[in-house]
Amino acid sequence: MKISKVWGVIFLIGGMVAVEAVPGFAQVDPLRRCLLCHGKAGFKEVLEGGKERPLYIDVEDFRGSAHGNMVCTICHTDVRTIPHLSRPRRIHCLQCHYEGNVVGAPVERKPEKYKESVHGKALEKGDPRAPDCRDCHTSHSVRQASDSASTVNKRHVPETCGRCHLSVFTAYSQSVHGTALSKGILESAACSDCHREHDLLPKDDPRSSLYPQNVANTCATCHQNETLMRKLGIPVKQVQAFKESFHGVAIEFGFLKVANCVSCHGYHDILPQSDIRSSIHPTNLAKTCGKCHPRVTAMVARGKIHVLPTEPSSGIVYWVSQFFKWFTILVLLGLFLHILLDLFGRFRAHRTT
Amino acid sequence: MKERDEKTVLRLSIQVRVQHFLLMLSVTMLILTGLALMYSDSWLGKLMIFLEGGFETRGFLHRISAILLFLGVIYHWLYISLTREGHEEFLQILLRLQDFRDLGHAVLYDVGLRSQPPQFGRYGYREKFQYWAMGILILLMLFSGIILWYHNFFLGVLPKWAMDLTLVVHGSAGTILFLFLVLWHFYMVHWAPGKFPFSMTFWHGKITQEEWEREHPLECMQKKNENQ
Repeated sequence: MKISKVWGVIFLIGGMVAVEAVPGFAQVDPLRRCLLCHGKAGFKEVLEGGKERPLYIDVEDFRGSAHGNMVCTICHTDVRTIPHLSRPRRIHCLQCHYEGNVVGAPVERKPEKYKESVHGKALEKGDPRAPDCRDCHTSHSVRQASDSASTVNKRHVPETCGRCHLSVFTAYSQSVHGTALSKGILESAACSDCHREHDLLPKDDPRSSLYPQNVANTCATCHQNETLMRKLGIPVKQVQAFKESFHGVAIEFGFLKVANCVSCHGYHDILPQSDIRSSIHPTNLAKTCGKCHPRVTAMVARGKIHVLPTEPSSGIVYWVSQFFKWFTILVLLGLFLHILLDLFGRFRAHRTT
Repeated sequence: MKERDEKTVLRLSIQVRVQHFLLMLSVTMLILTGLALMYSDSWLGKLMIFLEGGFETRGFLHRISAILLFLGVIYHWLYISLTREGHEEFLQILLRLQDFRDLGHAVLYDVGLRSQPPQFGRYGYREKFQYWAMGILILLMLFSGIILWYHNFFLGVLPKWAMDLTLVVHGSAGTILFLFLVLWHFYMVHWAPGKFPFSMTFWHGKITQEEWEREHPLECMQKKNENQ
């Protein structure tokens, strides 16, 4: 015998009787009728096989959500009576959030983007693990991303994604981005900053932010932002140096197998160069470069990796480059002068003869 | 138009012309494919890469041309060290103090401070400077180019900064070589008054008697003395 279900039914009947018995009760709080049962902590349904499904709604949490001023039946439209005549149907966000809805639910192009995403495609194929809106946004505590209590607020995004992607979450939590975010540095990258949210596309899709040709630009959204990088004390010319390097030029022309940012830095487990575990720590560079260049030795650690010859910090590369720059200008001037002198000389000779 | 029956002198032997042809072909190709990569972020570079058959073919052509240039350099080295003609030519083109005096003299003459232009032998300062500038630059290009070609090997041998330096040297020396070729060599042999727009000497090796006497009077005199 499923005791709790029995109790639930008793509560439902009791609640209904109470509501009927007190005139005007329903007007006091439109939610209260539902909360008579669903407001009780531990109210749940026991499914076939003994699994439990909580049916409890934390009313304070719900009131703080984006839908906090609505009553349950706005979404649960099929719930008309207590006890429920039939099992309430699953509801979907698109019941309201569609173009031209009359209840004023905000509509963005996010559902369309979602349908194109890896999650949307998996759902379409019937993968039971595929997340729908509410898996990230929750059902009853949907909040704006700017709300720090929201599951899609930047500081909670890793946990939200990590509910399914646990091993990634573990790696990320130890990375430079994860530790920074947990310290409250909100400029650090959370999952969605690189993967995007609704238009989260597989990395072999040319539109994806993770497509080899797009990786540098994805990193560049933060790492080429001068004010941000200066504030955080991180070098800002790395992306530019990459794009001007052999790797950067080759990838621009469609050679996807050449190294992009993540080939050397890793992605979820990115660590700063100073960390001995980092793939770009000087002692690990030979191994990292060796993934593609098998003969590389520790010599590769002697010098800068992201070199711009125009930057004084590039040392001898900068000085030699400067020498050539001025030497080229000098040669150019000399050659022009020589031509001019020669023409002038010939002109004089021609006139005198 | 020059008179058909005008007297000509053979200035460039077949040996020199073959070497020049190798050099001309390889260096032109190297410059076209090299500049395309150097300016690959501009529309011109992209257009050139497209015309050169795409990114990969561009690199292939650059390397093929480099082999051609390398063979040309070996040929030249054998020519000057093993043949009498080449050896004599090399001795003629060695730099002497007189060449720098001639340069000063020429400048003074051009601005009107000397009444007579400097007198040159077989090779004047202009040809000598060109030969040595090209020689040094080409050697620089070949050495840096080999390092870049075999970067997988050299990455394990040279420090990273030396690899970066190699790239800077290859690009810069290539640019200077290109400028020198256009503003010195082309001006001197093709575009200067009297030769404009194009001299075919590189093909048939001949110049007119008049040109020989005017531009290489010392060599001319010497030859006449030998014949007497």
